Amino acid sequence: MSRATMNLAPTRVAAPRLSHLSWLLLAVALAAGFGLPGVVASVLVLTLLTQAVIGGMLAVGVGFLMRQNGVVSFGHAAWYGVSAYCLGLLLRHEVVPAELALLLALGVPTLMAFLLGLVIVRVPGVAFSMLTLAVGQAFHEFSMKAQGLTNGDDGFAIPLPDSLFGLPISVVQQPETMFVLCWSLLALVIFGLYVTVRSPFGRLTEAIRENEERARFIGYKTVLPRAATYAISAFVAALAGLLFALYNGFVSPEVLHWSLSGSALIMAVIGGSRLLWGPALGAVIFFFLKDLAGNLTEHWPAMIGVTVIVVTVLMPAGIAGTLAELFGRLRKAGGGA
Amino acid sequence: MNGAYAIEGTALTRPYGGFFAVNKVDIAVPHGEIRGLIGPNGAGKSTLIDVLSGRAAVWSGQVRMDGRDIGALGAQERRRQGMARSFQKTNIFPELSVREQLDIAARKAEKPNVEEVMDELGLGSLGQARARDIAYGEQRRLDLALALIGRPRVLLLDEPAAGLSMRESLGLATLLRDLAQRWKVTVLLVEHDMEVVFSICDRITVLQLGRVLAEGTPDEIRRSPEVVTAYLGSAA
Repeated sequence: MSRATMNLAPTRVAAPRLSHLSWLLLAVALAAGFGLPGVVASVLVLTLLTQAVIGGMLAVGVGFLMRQNGVVSFGHAAWYGVSAYCLGLLLRHEVVPAELALLLALGVPTLMAFLLGLVIVRVPGVAFSMLTLAVGQAFHEFSMKAQGLTNGDDGFAIPLPDSLFGLPISVVQQPETMFVLCWSLLALVIFGLYVTVRSPFGRLTEAIRENEERARFIGYKTVLPRAATYAISAFVAALAGLLFALYNGFVSPEVLHWSLSGSALIMAVIGGSRLLWGPALGAVIFFFLKDLAGNLTEHWPAMIGVTVIVVTVLMPAGIAGTLAELFGRLRKAGGGA
Repeated sequence: MNGAYAIEGTALTRPYGGFFAVNKVDIAVPHGEIRGLIGPNGAGKSTLIDVLSGRAAVWSGQVRMDGRDIGALGAQERRRQGMARSFQKTNIFPELSVREQLDIAARKAEKPNVEEVMDELGLGSLGQARARDIAYGEQRRLDLALALIGRPRVLLLDEPAAGLSMRESLGLATLLRDLAQRWKVTVLLVEHDMEVVFSICDRITVLQLGRVLAEGTPDEIRRSPEVVTAYLGSAA
């Protein structure tokens, strides 16, 4: 028997196991979320942090799409806004119980994104970005024009119930508790995405991102995994939109506007999308910069713009990516000493 | 095995910007044969491989594998039928490790022979290396390895020795000859390195301007005045 024949035993391709460090980091992140409101006395700062975490979740969705599919979405506000409107409309018209409305607000945009993804992920690069922008603006226009349904430009207050899943509604409307909820969900989302990217599915989508043609010629259909990735990123955006709607108790066309998609993209670029938590860090920087710059000048977007230029030129991997590189170098230097 | 030929193309035509890159080409490769496909630049060799492998979008004619018409199948389905290919330009997953990408390829194979392929191609020590960081010759072997996962029955190779040193090219030729015999794989090989082609091919098809100019054993091709005039020149 030849060596080759002897070696033909099937090789099981198993998903890499999660390290103890991954679980430890999740536990630390969750604990930090619970501990932070006790340290931060200012309600204003907590409010800002809560907004940053919700924005961060939207940016994490955008970053995940960039990381796994290698494409940029200019229209992720669509899934954020559809989720918020979905919750608002279902509660306003008392169509279903509030708990089911929450689930539908997550499921509907995710399903819509998946179906749309089956079409638009076939289009490469800038054309994909333009399509996402077009779709996002179509939703925005619909929310403006469908006065009878959405109350148009004015939006509407969401009639939230007294409790959700047995918890008083104040939990989602006070910054102290809402921050903990949002932070915990963000940590779980990042952890879930981490598990996803390390799974065989995650590796496959990275391979497709790297070289779609080669992936096809080793036997893979490439549209489905790319559409699934788009749907996962839309789910994360929808979760952010849902939290926004619960926290604010109000929804208007602003949540569907391209400028929100643009802000999420800026957060992802500042933080960097190579690391899953990069866009969340970018969101915190974005919100605090916006707040600080907003107190100094009405031209605060110019300062954000300068920051984006500086980060793009000096740190192409984003702030998180650069920090990770520095940490890697320090570890190497420490190991070599 | 069904059918007389492992891979067979009939009246294959591929229009390309006002002319025909491949024009009514008939080619039939029996099981286990290594067929060389040679010709000057622009003769239609790579295009023919593209048509046979399902890469070409617009074409006409018939493609059969083991006698079965596979013309309507996409690249993925042809791979499932046992056809694999490599590319003229190195076509790998640069950011993934050698092992990761072979594992991904193995998930689609009935016989996921990653260890075997890594051993055969001398990639064993490079498993954890990122593909973009390894040497060019190793990348070419990785490209071939991706095609060899699952032990394909038909292997279409588009200039696998491109850019390799003479020593590497001859090593590759020996490996291909050896694998084809042991794995009983049918090979259609596009190659400019005549030393590789004449040393390992059972038969050779010569293309010129999208048409078949000649076909025969290496000796017959060497002696063909038309081929010598049109292509081989002093290489014969």
